[in-house]
Amino acid sequence: MTTHTMLLSKRFLQRRFTTNNKFKFIPGYKLKCGLEIHTQLNTKKKLFSSSINHHPSSSETPNSHTNFFDLSLPGTQPILNHESILFALKLSLALNSKINLNSQFDRKHYFYADQPQGYQITQHYSPFAKHGSLTLYHDIDNIKEPTKKINIIQLQIEQDTARSIYLQPPQNLTLLDFNRSNVPLIELVTEPEFNDIDQIKAFIRKYQNLIRHLHISTGDLEDGAMRIDVNVNVNEHPRVELKNLPNTTSIIKAIKYEYTQQVQTLLNQKNGDVFEGGTKSWDGQKTIKLRNKETMVDYRYMPDPELPTITLSTELIESIRKTMPMLPDDIINMLVSHPYCLTMKDAKILTINSNSNSTSNKSAENEVSIYNHEDLRGYYLETCNEFLQLSNTGQKVNEKSPLKLPTNWIIHELIGNLKKLSISFNEFNAKCMNPPTFAEFLTLIKQNVISNSSAKFLLFEILKQFKDSSSMMTKMEIDLPKLIKKYNLETIDESNEKGQEFINEICNSVIEQTSNDLITEIKMGGKNKEKKLKYLIGQSMKLSKGKISPKEIESCLNKILFL
Amino acid sequence: MSQAKSIDHVIKALPKLQSRYNIFAHLEPSTKILQRYNDIQKNQPNSTLAGTISAIKDNIVTQDSNTTCASQMLKEYKSPFTATIVKLLSNAGTTIVGKTNMDEFAMGSLGIHSCYGPTINPSRAFFANDDMGKREMVTGGSSSGSAAAVSATIDGDNIIDFALGTDTGGSVRLPASYCSVLGFKGSYGRISRYGVVSFAQSLDTVGIFAKDLPILRGVFDVLNKYDRKDPTSLNDLLRNEIIELSDKCLHRLQNPLRIGIVQEFNQESVDKDIKSAFHDFIGQLMEKGYTVVPISIPSIKYSLPIYYTLAPSEAVSNLSRYDGIRFGTRDPNEDVNNEAFFSKTRSNFGTEVRNRLILGNYNLSSSFAHNNYIQAQKLRVNLINEFDFMFKFPNVLTRNKANVGDDNGIDFIISPTSLNKPTFVRRAMSDKIATDEYFNDIFTIPASLAGLPTMTIPIRGNEPIGIQIMGQYGDDQGVLDFTSTLMKK
Repeated sequence: MTTHTMLLSKRFLQRRFTTNNKFKFIPGYKLKCGLEIHTQLNTKKKLFSSSINHHPSSSETPNSHTNFFDLSLPGTQPILNHESILFALKLSLALNSKINLNSQFDRKHYFYADQPQGYQITQHYSPFAKHGSLTLYHDIDNIKEPTKKINIIQLQIEQDTARSIYLQPPQNLTLLDFNRSNVPLIELVTEPEFNDIDQIKAFIRKYQNLIRHLHISTGDLEDGAMRIDVNVNVNEHPRVELKNLPNTTSIIKAIKYEYTQQVQTLLNQKNGDVFEGGTKSWDGQKTIKLRNKETMVDYRYMPDPELPTITLSTELIESIRKTMPMLPDDIINMLVSHPYCLTMKDAKILTINSNSNSTSNKSAENEVSIYNHEDLRGYYLETCNEFLQLSNTGQKVNEKSPLKLPTNWIIHELIGNLKKLSISFNEFNAKCMNPPTFAEFLTLIKQNVISNSSAKFLLFEILKQFKDSSSMMTKMEIDLPKLIKKYNLETIDESNEKGQEFINEICNSVIEQTSNDLITEIKMGGKNKEKKLKYLIGQSMKLSKGKISPKEIESCLNKILFL
Repeated sequence: MSQAKSIDHVIKALPKLQSRYNIFAHLEPSTKILQRYNDIQKNQPNSTLAGTISAIKDNIVTQDSNTTCASQMLKEYKSPFTATIVKLLSNAGTTIVGKTNMDEFAMGSLGIHSCYGPTINPSRAFFANDDMGKREMVTGGSSSGSAAAVSATIDGDNIIDFALGTDTGGSVRLPASYCSVLGFKGSYGRISRYGVVSFAQSLDTVGIFAKDLPILRGVFDVLNKYDRKDPTSLNDLLRNEIIELSDKCLHRLQNPLRIGIVQEFNQESVDKDIKSAFHDFIGQLMEKGYTVVPISIPSIKYSLPIYYTLAPSEAVSNLSRYDGIRFGTRDPNEDVNNEAFFSKTRSNFGTEVRNRLILGNYNLSSSFAHNNYIQAQKLRVNLINEFDFMFKFPNVLTRNKANVGDDNGIDFIISPTSLNKPTFVRRAMSDKIATDEYFNDIFTIPASLAGLPTMTIPIRGNEPIGIQIMGQYGDDQGVLDFTSTLMKK
């Protein structure tokens, strides 16, 4: 690099990075990142003991879910919990990994107060699975490239440690909560293949959604159910490990900060300079050095001498593969295709849980409590199925998007109303309108028994009644034809005389109720004529309870007002 | 099964056992012993072990008394749970009178590395007339107190009918031979280790000391159970398979048994008395019509290095939980340090334990091109394969092809139990060369590495000379039956 470009770059850097918000990559300085993700499995029991594996965010009494093994008392032995193996298998299959038919546990030795055994049982020499991958897509995951495949080096099963709670002076104590000790973890290590911030964000989001989708973890970063370490290096700068990153925001900020740091180091380099890698921590503002390579601990790995090899047969793996749910990307692809033809946005609503399910997440308010994307998807698919059966009576098989009604009505109208009335989706499904009922409702619209606007009115009335009658306790009986009669919502057949008479009546009574000035203005064809006419149409629609189409009303009004 | 002796006699004798031989790490109060004994006589007089008096090694956890492993580190430690084997024994009606002295954390083969001081060998070979203090010889270890407890007599009477020890590399067999009693370690995984403080799990087994074979067999029958709490416990499927195999091997009773003598065990340095006793024993076998065949198991010459790579590595790992935070005391000045293999906090460990921790850490260090532990494991597999090739009885774990055909395979292997006879306690304690002690395990270690059921029998009355009978993995009953035959004469 010439002095000129160096100076230029320095100035460029200062401009870019003093304003923290506008991060940009410097041409010629390539970011290379890898992730190491620890995921707590939400098995019923702990990894090697029969203690309950409690949810980390639950406010359980410290040290209430421990047994003798979790505390490493002399004479205790590990007994492997097979549910952890099942969960690890599911994840390995979902990530297209090569599953090790004979994986083993090893001991990783280090002294720390939260590690009562003096070692962690992990998988070092022969991990559970290798060579997996997760592919990111432009349209699904919002990355710049059309696709980006992230290779996963390995997946291993290991124990979590106890939780340390540090009390500040004057107490100056470290409290240890062993509820977390021996909870099963999966450690996943990616190749250092990320070269853009968007890819990292997308991977985290996608992985988090995947583990939730598989029901193997709550996937919450906030309470440590998922923990992410990042390794970062720019060009020839040695690798730096970033630890203690509590959430995605810190991860992204820390990577940006470290990128800038390393670029600056490289720009200021003199001949013979040796750069330091090592481990750094993130304090919310900057990365802080924890230790460098020379003071690394020798973990003295040793195969665990009493835990048996995890032996899996290919038959078992194949039988688990058959029980695997459809994966999120496949679901999205299914939903955007015929017959569902959803927009990518709607498909994601039904597939991706962007918010946490956990009660600890304060940002997740009404939206989350109203519905869960998975329940909603189940409801949607079932309703579609019922709807197709009801409407497919031999005719109109090759419609372009035969499920437009269920899509619009469920994802938009229904959810909108539920939010407005604060009704939980599951309550609605269980006690108000189940998929067959909702499909019947949609069929009435499709067969033009009620108009679109009458249907909106009707649905809202049903929901309001459901909410008001405090019938949320018991199942509500819904007889749609009866309700349509009750509210007088049948569509008017505009083609016959009786229908025309009804339309005339409605329009005339609206005109009567409207001030003469306004009518005159419309007749005169003033500058706001269109707007005013629309007002009249609206009023007529309202009076007819939506039974007449706006088109019919407009032509009737035109006739009456001689326009 | 109960021996004819009164409980009052036992209670009076126990303090003498302790003051003469330093047998116990913990002795139960007399009132408790009496009450327990009487309870059994009243409520379960017909249980298998009713009326027996027993003791267990202090590395087996019990809820009602401390479990110290003869270490300062666990001086005040009381376990909140009781080992499976102690529960089984109690249910069978024995009266356990105390926890026995041992080498700290079962590391040692002399019984001198204990925070309670050395156990003294009570064999009548050294104490002709209960004469104290003249010839204080070692008991052998690490289950020193258990061996001494069974060996010791007061006024010519046995006090303790049986005792439990643990055997990782010979810790039951060596002291049994030094104290002239029977010592049996089952196949690896036969007897539950749940509640047995680990030294080196891939080798640790529980063993039984007794003078009387029927008592020993009775105890074995009580303990010979699958335990789901122990991940290395032999499962019922394999246990049943072994029983079926044993039934098929009943022809052993008709045909002359083939007994193997391992060439690699022909050590120059074997004590001359032991050598001649062993030769006499072989002569007797041949007279009785047994076929004695020399066999070669080449990997035996690697067994000491394999053992001293595996055992200290596992030990350093197992003992890392005693970090001074939860157990022992914490050094006020110097805390646990990531970089140090052991820091001042761990000065609660005795010298021999510290030696082995250093050795173990050395073996596991990543700086050695390839972790020594893994190399040693591979050599251990070779050794097992070579044993499998010798035995008629198939190995249900390895599924190696057994050496069937009556002209080839062997039924049992015999060898001396120890290289030397016991030495003076004072000399052993002043000896600075730890490896001499390590060499003494040369005959016992191969069976530990291969997990073989092995019995040591005293063959010269009260002399501290024993021979070992090793059977194929799982063939515990075979070894016990053969021992019975030999002892009938």
